Formats: sequence, C-alpha cells, structure tokens
Amino acid sequence: MPMRLPTLSDPAAGHRSSGAAWATAGAVSILAGLAVLGRLDMATACLAAAATTGLGVWAAWRTRTPAPSQTAGDDPSAAPAQGATQTAFEDALENLPDPLLIASAGEPDDLAGKRLVFANAAARALLRIPRDGALLLSAIRRPEVLEAVDEALFGGVSGTVSFETGGAQDRFWRIWTTPLSGRADSSLCLILMRDETDARRNERMRADFLANASHELRTPLASLTGFIETLRGHARDDEGARERFLGIMAVQADRMARLVDDLMSLSRIELNEHIPPDGRCDLSVTVTDVLDALGPIATTKQVRLRPDLPAPGKAEIVADRDQVIQVVQNLVDNALKYSPPGADLKVIVRSSLKKDAASASDLASPRLTSPDGGRQSLLSPDRTDGELYCMVRVVDQGPGMAKRHLLRLAERFYRVEGQKSGERSGTGLGLAIVKHIVNRHRGGLWVESAPGAGAQFTAYFPQAKPVPQAQPDLGRLEPDIVTKPS
Amino acid sequence: MSEHTLKFFGDELTQLKAEVTRMGGLVEAQVEDAVECVARRDVDLAQTIVGRDLKIDEMQREIERKAIRMIALRQPVAQDLRRTVAAMKMAWNLERTGDQAKSIAKRSLILATSEPLTPLTRAVERMGKLVASRLKESLDAYTIADLERGFAVWNADEEVDEHYDSLFRELLTYMMGDPRTISSCAHLLFIGKNLERIGDHATNIAEILQYEVTGEEIAGDRPRWSSHMAAESPADPTAGDDQ
Repeated sequence: MPMRLPTLSDPAAGHRSSGAAWATAGAVSILAGLAVLGRLDMATACLAAAATTGLGVWAAWRTRTPAPSQTAGDDPSAAPAQGATQTAFEDALENLPDPLLIASAGEPDDLAGKRLVFANAAARALLRIPRDGALLLSAIRRPEVLEAVDEALFGGVSGTVSFETGGAQDRFWRIWTTPLSGRADSSLCLILMRDETDARRNERMRADFLANASHELRTPLASLTGFIETLRGHARDDEGARERFLGIMAVQADRMARLVDDLMSLSRIELNEHIPPDGRCDLSVTVTDVLDALGPIATTKQVRLRPDLPAPGKAEIVADRDQVIQVVQNLVDNALKYSPPGADLKVIVRSSLKKDAASASDLASPRLTSPDGGRQSLLSPDRTDGELYCMVRVVDQGPGMAKRHLLRLAERFYRVEGQKSGERSGTGLGLAIVKHIVNRHRGGLWVESAPGAGAQFTAYFPQAKPVPQAQPDLGRLEPDIVTKPS
Repeated sequence: MSEHTLKFFGDELTQLKAEVTRMGGLVEAQVEDAVECVARRDVDLAQTIVGRDLKIDEMQREIERKAIRMIALRQPVAQDLRRTVAAMKMAWNLERTGDQAKSIAKRSLILATSEPLTPLTRAVERMGKLVASRLKESLDAYTIADLERGFAVWNADEEVDEHYDSLFRELLTYMMGDPRTISSCAHLLFIGKNLERIGDHATNIAEILQYEVTGEEIAGDRPRWSSHMAAESPADPTAGDDQ
C-alpha cells in the first residue's frame, strides 16, 4: 500500500522538498547536539536521528516525484526503481519499534485542523488510531505533549516531554517533538515516543523492595537475635531449652527465606508486568499438574480436592505457563491453608466466556446472601473488545471473611485480623503475586466470601485464538480425520 | 463519522468536540497530578495545579459560549443539537472535576506540613489511580464515540465506592488509635470524597456520551452486588447534598 500524505501531495510540493531537506539536516544536528551535551542517551539519539533522516529523505522523495506518478501511485510498475527505495523508507518508518507520528496543522487555534498524517504500526497499536487522518487530539490529550507539538509546529522548536499513562499497567513515556518544515502555513511535526517504563519501574521497584524487605524482615530477625542472646546467656547449659529455641530459630529463618523468595518473585513479575506474555498454555492441564503436586498436602490435611475441568485442549490461554502455575498454586495453597479437615476444595475451569460471564456471581450463593458477605473485584482488564476468557475458580469451605476485608486482600502483607492461617504461616504476598501475574496476562481477578461460608477466588485469562489450520494439507487428508478434531 | 451535509457546520462541531477533548486532557492531567502530589508530598506540583485551574474555568466558559452561539445561529436539530448540548454538558462536568482536583491539591499543601501517614496516603494513591483510569477510559470513549467502552465505565463505578468505604474505615481506625492524626486524617477523608466525586463525574461523562449518540439515557440502575451495604455505607449521609 503506498502512503498518502495529503499535505505533501499538493501543488506546492516542489517548493517544500528543499524545506524537508533543511528540516532533516536541522533536526539531525539538533539531536546530535543534544547527544553531545549528554541531554539524550546515545542510543535514543541514534534512533531519533535515524528516524528523522529516514523521514526527511522519504519526504524529499515523495515531493520530488512528479505529479503524474503520484496519481498513478497505486500502480507499482510506474516507477520501479524509485518505488523500491521509497518502499524501503516507508517500511523502515512503519516497522520502527517505537511509536512514531507525523502531525500537520494549519492555523494555531484551529484544533480540528491538527491531524496526524502518518502513524506507524507501533503508534497505531498503542493509540488505536488509523494510519492517517486521525485528529491529533483523539490520539493524544496530554496538555504537556500538545504544547510541545504546538511549539514544534508553530515555533519551530524541538522539545522532549516525559509523562505517565494511567490504566491497569502504568507506563512512562518520553516524547520527542521535532519540526519537519519551516513553512508557516502548513507545518509538519515529528512525534517520536519512547517507552521508558523499564527504567522508571526499576527505580521504583528497588525503593519498594527495600522498604518492604526491611520492614518485614525485622520481626523474624528480632526474634532470632533474642534467642541467640538467650542461648548465650542463661539457657547456655539447658539442653531442653536449647533444642526448643533452635527449633523456633529454624522456623524463623525459614520464614525469612520464604519472604525473600516471594519478594524477589514479586519484583521480577512487576518488572515485566507491562509486557504481555506470548506463549500458550492449557489451563486444564496446568490445573491438573498443580493438583497432582499438592495432592500429598491435601491428604495430610484431610481435604478432598474436587477438580471440575473441561477436556484438555478446550481451555487454551495466552500465557506464561510457569506464571499460571504460580497463580493456581497460590490460590489452591491458600484454600488448603484455611480448609478444615474433611472439607471439599473445588477447582473449576471454564472456557470461552465473555468478560461479563467470567466475572459474574451466582446471586443465590450463601456468600452473597449473608449480611456480612459480598464480592469484590480485585483486578479487571482495561479493554475487552469482545475478547473471550478462560477462568479458573477455587472454592473452599474455610472460615471465610467479611466483605470489608475483600478489597485489601491483594495488598502486600495485608492480614485479615483474627485469622490464623495454620502452622505454616504465609508471607502475606501470595495474593499480591497472583494479582500481578494476572495483570500481566491482561486478565481479571475477583473474590467472593462471607464469614462461615468459605471463600471463592476466580482468575480469568484471555483465551488463545484457535491456530489457523493449514488448508492445503487438510485437503489431502481423509475426510474422517479432518472432522475428528472438532 | 460520515461527512456533515453542511461542511462548515460539521467543521464547527468537530472543532467544538476537539476543544472539549483538549479540556478533558487538561483535567485528566490535573487529577493524575493531584494524586501524585498527595502521594509524593510535592508542594510545587500542588501549586501548579491550583494555578492551572483558572485555565480550565476559562476553557469551560469558551466552550459554553461557542455552543450557545452555535445553537443561536445554526439552530441545530437532532444529533447536531445533541452534540452541541453534550459539549456544553461535558464542559460543566469537566470543570467540576477540575475543581475537585484543585481541592485535593490544596489539601495536599496542608498535609505536607504535618507528619507523613504513609499507609494512608498509599490507600489514597490506589484509589486515585483507579479513579484517574476511570476518567481516562470515559474520555477515551467520548473522544472516539465508543458506546461500549462508555458503558463499561458506567458499570464499574462500584469499585470506586468500595475503595472509598475501605479508606473511610481505615481512617476511622487511625483517628481512634491516635487523636494527634485527626486533622491530617480529616483532610485525607475529604480527599477520598473528592476522588469519589471524580469517579461520579467519569460515569456522568459516559452518560453524556450515551445521550449524544443515541439521545437516550442509560436505562436502569447500576448493578450493585451488595445492596445491604448501602444502608451502612459511610458515603450515605453526604450522597444527596452535593449534586
């Protein structure tokens, strides 16, 4: 598909080609200057410079092309040699990993006149806009960015802006704006966006980790130090006390180790929470695996595991299998902890649900009819657009919780007061880990509980699209084999 | 959207919507920044927010003036009329949202002078992020006239209320535990209320969108899983008085 730039294919195009060349030279030198001054890191500068150069050369090509071949632009045979170079530049811009936009404008106060004449693939995916013709304002509303674009369009000044976008997954963006043409009546502006979430997240994560770790490790550490002092002091020669204290110390040390493990695992998950997984995994098979592994614990606790799963192959999700295992394991582990002996523990998997169905409750359930019970969404995906989901639901017959606790369950180290989680006390991070994993998978999580009526956790993940069958191969197979998989 | 029969009128409508969108962007940034300055105790940012509110008021007046002018001169009917009126309604809603953000910023200035209450400001931050994302979703929906997304925002207000209830309880516990925190906690409580109101404005935007596109109101009540909660909800005493 050849690209159409309305503002470039007007009769004044010939005049502008020199403008475009100048703009390119100017932009490249500005970027180079910034890089030398250490204002931009080198890689970014190179990328931006490459984009600017490519754009300028491409714009020059576009504008130098004589008018007749522009109208016949749809015909690739019109100018094969030129077309090839031009396509290469178009492709280069199109396939840049960073979102890139070109805005054009007429009058400064004409808001509807500011339009995007080009958006590359990354920008279209991020901002959900068409390749050209979108209103600038429908793509970007951030006032700082709009000001920077205005400055580039009407003042001919380049600039950079950083900002954070909200939503389920926070992202930090840095935006470079560069004027592409010096003419006042209809100017062009290059907008290059760069995702800086990794760097910022690393920073914040370190601070959070330190705060959490130092706070939570202090308690077991204090108890360890206390026992060491006692063992050095009056309990030195008391055989019985020594054994008992060493036992407690081992438990505390164990708890510290588990805490550090969980904190590290949480940090790792949070680090790439904004990058969706690209693998596939079968939810039924995963649940079966986890239940097999937890079988011995269930037997010791005299809890009956009651899986209710569709056949393997029916509930495929887009997922990182190891992380889904962690989700199911944490949920079942939690349920096991609170289940009394002799109780049933149900694990249900369902597939091909709309978002509403995946997050719908049975209104007649005792957890909802109880005056102190209720349901709470802990996480819901940003946008659905007819996406189908597979859900895994874990239902226990434990003591349950009052509604007011539900909202805070996924907070780190939140404890429901007056509740004992048994001899193997948790780290308080299990559900936080579950929430962050599900968020990375663009799924949802909700809970339903009432005192005395148990708890029910449901996590849902986007369902994998069926793999398209290779048609020619199927045609050669016997008819009964072709129909078998369905 | 297809081309308007009268091109100049179509252009004017697009222009009006663009102005509303720009105002929405500014208000959105105000809300996000307001939450940020509570969480980070950022005095400079808070003062910037208070200053920028004047601009929002100016934008609201401008949009209103243009819309009234269009109604007077073009006498629009059907969808044209709804689009004009919707722009005006949006401007009112956004202006009030901006006021709430300004009020949060002012309170954060007072909070910054007292002892930090980290766990509480974290709770406010969580609620603030949620509310900001609701506002963003509803403005996204309005910008591209996507009814389905608007409806999703309208439907999900319950979560904001839950956060408010939870924050309310937490603040009570703090105030009972240590009376010295009462003045800070009271300000945080009002901030929670401001955020809750912003959440309501986000649902209003979804309603305006529905009106603009279809001319109808969204039918029925919002789903509530816990109607019994309403009776003991701390939000109740003030629910009716600041419409």
